[in-house]
Amino acid sequence: MKKDLEKIFDDCIDELRKGGSVESILAKYPEYISETKPLLELVQAMEQLPKPEPSADAVSAALVGIGEELALLRPVRHLVETSTVGRGQSPRLKKKRRSFFGRLFQQPRLAWTLSAAFALVLMFVAISTVSANSVPGDILYPLKLVTEKVSFLLTFSSERKAELRLTFSEERTKEIKRVLQKSGKLDEGLLDAMLTEAQSALEETPNDTSAIFLAKLNAVNTYQKDVLESFRPRVDSANEKIVNRAIGVCDMRGRWIRGMMHGSWDETPEHRLPAPRQERRRGEGRGWGPGCDWMR
Amino acid sequence: MREKFLELAEEELQAVLEQARRLEPKAIAKLSQYCYPKAFSYIYYRVNDRSDAEDLTSEVCLRMMQSIQQQKGSFKGWVYRVASNVVTDFYRRRAVRSVVDPVAESVEEIADDRDESTQLLNQEQLKKGLSHLTDEQREVIILKFIEGYETEEIARLLEKSNEAIRALQFRALTTLKRILRTEKQ
Repeated sequence: MKKDLEKIFDDCIDELRKGGSVESILAKYPEYISETKPLLELVQAMEQLPKPEPSADAVSAALVGIGEELALLRPVRHLVETSTVGRGQSPRLKKKRRSFFGRLFQQPRLAWTLSAAFALVLMFVAISTVSANSVPGDILYPLKLVTEKVSFLLTFSSERKAELRLTFSEERTKEIKRVLQKSGKLDEGLLDAMLTEAQSALEETPNDTSAIFLAKLNAVNTYQKDVLESFRPRVDSANEKIVNRAIGVCDMRGRWIRGMMHGSWDETPEHRLPAPRQERRRGEGRGWGPGCDWMR
Repeated sequence: MREKFLELAEEELQAVLEQARRLEPKAIAKLSQYCYPKAFSYIYYRVNDRSDAEDLTSEVCLRMMQSIQQQKGSFKGWVYRVASNVVTDFYRRRAVRSVVDPVAESVEEIADDRDESTQLLNQEQLKKGLSHLTDEQREVIILKFIEGYETEEIARLLEKSNEAIRALQFRALTTLKRILRTEKQ
């Protein structure tokens, strides 16, 4: 009897989901009306409840985290996939390849070339590590910029180039903070570089870039706006105007990025997507909206 | 009301899954945007705090990406299992009972564009009511009426018979109705 009731009740839920009204469904089972009516009404109320929705910021933060994790996972996988040794090759071939490398170092000229290349790479890594915390005015700062330029020139994918630009922009923000702590002054050159690199980052990306990149761009832009707002009270009146304008640009960029990420669904005035600019700066890349450009 | 998050048709989902297994960033991003709201609505009713729910949902997306290459069978069911494990781990870490504290005052209301006074039930009341159910009953109610699963799908996910799910559903709803009535009085 109880089992019948539970089955009938489950069937009632199915009918409710198909669009039936509580009354019409219960009319089919008058003998169970007292038990099932209050429960069906509850089911109807639950199914009419709006789904709890996460905030757009939480989704963005998650995407940034996923992007960082993905960056760690991908090189490992790439190495595993591109390494032919140990993936279904015959032991004979493996042996042959090992002996080839063995013979390689028996040739002095080749060994010298390889050693020189290795030393250069090592030097490059050492310079980037040592100069990482330098700021304009430090001896190592020009080396830091050269290192950035070299890594940019050695990058061929537009997506990776855009990510690099974003990293450079973030680095300029940290430098602005360090310079301000050190000398109490705003370095306008760094501010220019910070905003221009971020601007180029989006222009560099292909139109179908992933939401992970946009989330990262959004995070960097928010960080830059926070930094600018934090030191606004400490700059003189001439610089205050520049900082205010920079904050305004970050604000517009934030709206534009959120619009790109959620524009298809977010209709709040805050996130409404402004009309896209017609011209594109770099080939097929994405463009910024009005008020997002930084020009001195 | 327009759909705020990414929806994928089954065919499209399969294509995205295939690319995601190769760890292609665009596919991973799409999959995360697709899964996040689904996992969130499930986790929201299982933890007290909204920000905890958001953190745990991010963890679900991360775990999903880390093990996407091993994923087999129903993707929806797999996401649910990952979310369920994340919540279990969360309570294990906190070493508290895996239910929402019925007397907690911190249950937050979710921004909703409907006038709540006209609704028979709101999310806060439901959340409080669910906290009085057993783990299994709560699981069935969330999966059936929040996530929209069918009885047969829930039976497969929880490894129980259809009859057992129907019994749990009936008992859970009876208890929930009684609790909500008492709360209103």
